[in-house]
Amino acid sequence: MAAEEQFDDAFLKKLEYLYIISKKIASGAIRAKRKTKIVGSGLEFADYREYSPGDDLRNIDWRVFARTEKLFLKLFEEEEDLYIYFLVDTSPSMFLGDPNKWEYAKRLIASLSYIGLANLDRVSIIPFSSKLDGRLPPSRGRAQIFKIFDFLREMEPGDTTSLGEAFRTFVTQNKRRGMAVVVSDFYDPSGFEEGLNYLRYHKFEPLVVQLYDQRELNPNFRGDLQLVDCETGSIADVTVTSAMMKEYVAAFEKFSEGLEEYCTKRQILYFRTPIQLEFDELVLTIFRAGGFLK
Amino acid sequence: MSTILTLGGLVLAAVTVLYIMKLRKRRIQVPFSPLWKQVLTEKKQSSDFWKRLRRLFSWFVHVLLACLLAFALADPHFETEVVQGRHILLLVDSSASMASTDVSGGVDRLDIAKQKAREILDTIGPEDRVMLVEFNNQLRPLSPFVAEASVLEQPLRDISVVATGTSYSEALRFAADSLRDKERGELILISDGSGLKAESIEGFDLGDGVTLRHLKVGEASGNLAVTAFNVRRYLANKLDYELFVRVTSSFDRPVNAEIEIYADGRLVDTKPIQLDANDAYQRFYPSQAVSGERLEARVRLKTTDARDVFPLDDRAYALLPPTRKTTVMVVTEGNLYLEGPLLLNPNLDVTRVTLENYSPEKAASFDVTIFDRVAPKPPATGGLLYFGPPAGEFTPWETTKQVPDPIITRTKKSHPLMRWISLADVNIGVADQWKLRGGDTVVASSALGLPLLVARQEEDRKVVGVAFDVRNSDLPLRVAFPVFLLNAIDFFSLDDPSLVETNQTGKTWSVPMKTESARVDVTYPDGSTASVPVYDGRAVVYGEQTGFYRIASPEVTKTVAANLADNQESKIAPEELNLDKVEIKRDTSALIFDRHDLWIWALLAVLLMLMIEWWTYNRRLTV
Repeated sequence: MAAEEQFDDAFLKKLEYLYIISKKIASGAIRAKRKTKIVGSGLEFADYREYSPGDDLRNIDWRVFARTEKLFLKLFEEEEDLYIYFLVDTSPSMFLGDPNKWEYAKRLIASLSYIGLANLDRVSIIPFSSKLDGRLPPSRGRAQIFKIFDFLREMEPGDTTSLGEAFRTFVTQNKRRGMAVVVSDFYDPSGFEEGLNYLRYHKFEPLVVQLYDQRELNPNFRGDLQLVDCETGSIADVTVTSAMMKEYVAAFEKFSEGLEEYCTKRQILYFRTPIQLEFDELVLTIFRAGGFLK
Repeated sequence: MSTILTLGGLVLAAVTVLYIMKLRKRRIQVPFSPLWKQVLTEKKQSSDFWKRLRRLFSWFVHVLLACLLAFALADPHFETEVVQGRHILLLVDSSASMASTDVSGGVDRLDIAKQKAREILDTIGPEDRVMLVEFNNQLRPLSPFVAEASVLEQPLRDISVVATGTSYSEALRFAADSLRDKERGELILISDGSGLKAESIEGFDLGDGVTLRHLKVGEASGNLAVTAFNVRRYLANKLDYELFVRVTSSFDRPVNAEIEIYADGRLVDTKPIQLDANDAYQRFYPSQAVSGERLEARVRLKTTDARDVFPLDDRAYALLPPTRKTTVMVVTEGNLYLEGPLLLNPNLDVTRVTLENYSPEKAASFDVTIFDRVAPKPPATGGLLYFGPPAGEFTPWETTKQVPDPIITRTKKSHPLMRWISLADVNIGVADQWKLRGGDTVVASSALGLPLLVARQEEDRKVVGVAFDVRNSDLPLRVAFPVFLLNAIDFFSLDDPSLVETNQTGKTWSVPMKTESARVDVTYPDGSTASVPVYDGRAVVYGEQTGFYRIASPEVTKTVAANLADNQESKIAPEELNLDKVEIKRDTSALIFDRHDLWIWALLAVLLMLMIEWWTYNRRLTV
């Protein structure tokens, strides 16, 4: 599908519809926008902690002192805009096939961005492969959606996938914490753990969307073949049989389950979807899971 | 040669390119090769029982392939099949009786014979040699001993029935000579055996090791045949003719039939007949008067519950000689009594001349010259009829005196001139007294022996004289006069060889042809044509078809008729061949069998298994 067609009026209407639905799904459609869990100088009480020398005396809760004769500081949630970083994989594996994962990823990001913008969140898009391949600075407001469209349209395929390298650069460049939505097939020869760990360790809230193509799991080729890795170019002489295809599917399942298990254990929201599924359905699934809007 | 080399080079190049293309593996892009590598690693590690079993299966397939190839090379056959090389000589009867339709499963006996021959040809193996011979009253080898039976199929199809008899002895002798010193000889006579009884086959030596079989075809014997059919014109009255027909029945009971006579293709007469069992009916039919020259006699069975199974001899053909007008010159100064009867006869072409216009040279081209009271120099040829010739140099008879009022009292009634007439009471005024000489016959005379009507036979002609002037008598007023004139003219042409002989098929005919050509064209009854030679003024024609043959040269065209006219061939009852000291098989035991070339099936199985092996290998089912 051509890029121009992807973000037409019909698509925009669909985004609006998704936004409305998302608001219904998200409980308490308050105007107050999402707050970060950063404890700071906000108005809303968050917690207590014991006083340490050098703390601001204005925050000492004297009532508690009266009762307990111990100095406690009142902690408030710092109110600031939510930053949503869309980390989208632009490695060649995302561009394989027609339609491909990349097309799907663009529409997914456009949808989520729109909803984020509509919620007055700050939305930033950062394509990556083995490095960061550009950056859309954080934007806010629904009107910014066209800027996002343009950015998505102009994105080019990148290098081989390396989540670790790319996310290490990301966390050093982006000091503002926020939600990091990773849209990728996670076909990283060095593994996905390192990259996701970088996000976690730097207090980002990762949300993992694993895309895969159903056709990859059920290819129509058999016999003596040379399999060429579309990213690394490595060649493997293989005699593909039906039995081998079953084994390949099993290996993919194992790989995906490994990713899912990793995320689950670390309380990272994880979504896996074939690109044959309608993207709005995935969007709604994400909302229903409650990870994107609160 | 260069073309072959070029083609060979192209094929070699194409095969090489295809082979290289086959070797080159297809490249497929995958998104993440580590997953595939993981699969391959796991696969290498797996070496379970099923894998070993698959290899075992592959080995078993190879063993089976080798066995099948060995099986095919051994060229196995069932026990019922004869595989040793035989020399088979097929004698197929194509005589007239093979056209009988008393068969089931085919058109006629020949059709069944061909089917049997084809069945035998189908069993010809690679080591067999087979020879096909067609025979009737002649012998026609259609091939030498050949190994490829398929080349005989067309000659076998081309065999057709000919209207001739059968010569078994000649065929068997030829077969014996052909099979002499041949290994495992098989002489197969496919014939109805019709006419075998009439033929003596003695001293027949087939030789050792030769099997003789007679495969008899035909079932019934009921047949009506026209075995003789002749026709000729009457000498006296050439408009009429008489027929001779002989019909032979080979039914075992009395039957009713009808003879139909056709003239130039038109039915002109039918004659019902009755025949007893195995009877022959023959009869003359006099005074047949129809126009047309080509006559055909057909016999048609009228008994409803009987069936004539042999139609070929139900017809016979005959030719009438062409009618030609007799040319007559009358030299007279005027005689109405004489000219009247002559002009009324349509068979006469009469020319009247006066004595002044007469010349012997002109008269020589006429069949008959009539001199009325004149006696000029006669022509060199042709009959001469004198009425009251005056004395002179060329008068045939010397007149000694004249006799008044003679009365005819004696007539030679057996003489052709006297046929159907009476000259009693004829009044004659005066008659000449002629002096007769040797060769003269007195046909009518007076009581005193006065010759009044004399016929003379000269060396190459006939002369008739009337010794009185007919005008001076009442003879012209009598019925006898025109009849006498016709009798006289017929008398002159009595020797006309007008009977046309009918020829018999299966024989060589010598047909007289007045031609200078060395060859003449023959058009056969079926419309086909051929050129035949002419020797000593006779065309040599061999006919195998009944009907009319047209023989044409630049100068003359002639038509002849041919009939089967063979009593033996018309006896179509199937008979078995019996020979002294030679055992004859009557069936096709161990002769006709389904030949199963099992090696072909073995090779096909090899091919199939190779395909399965290739497919399973390609699919890595057996790797």
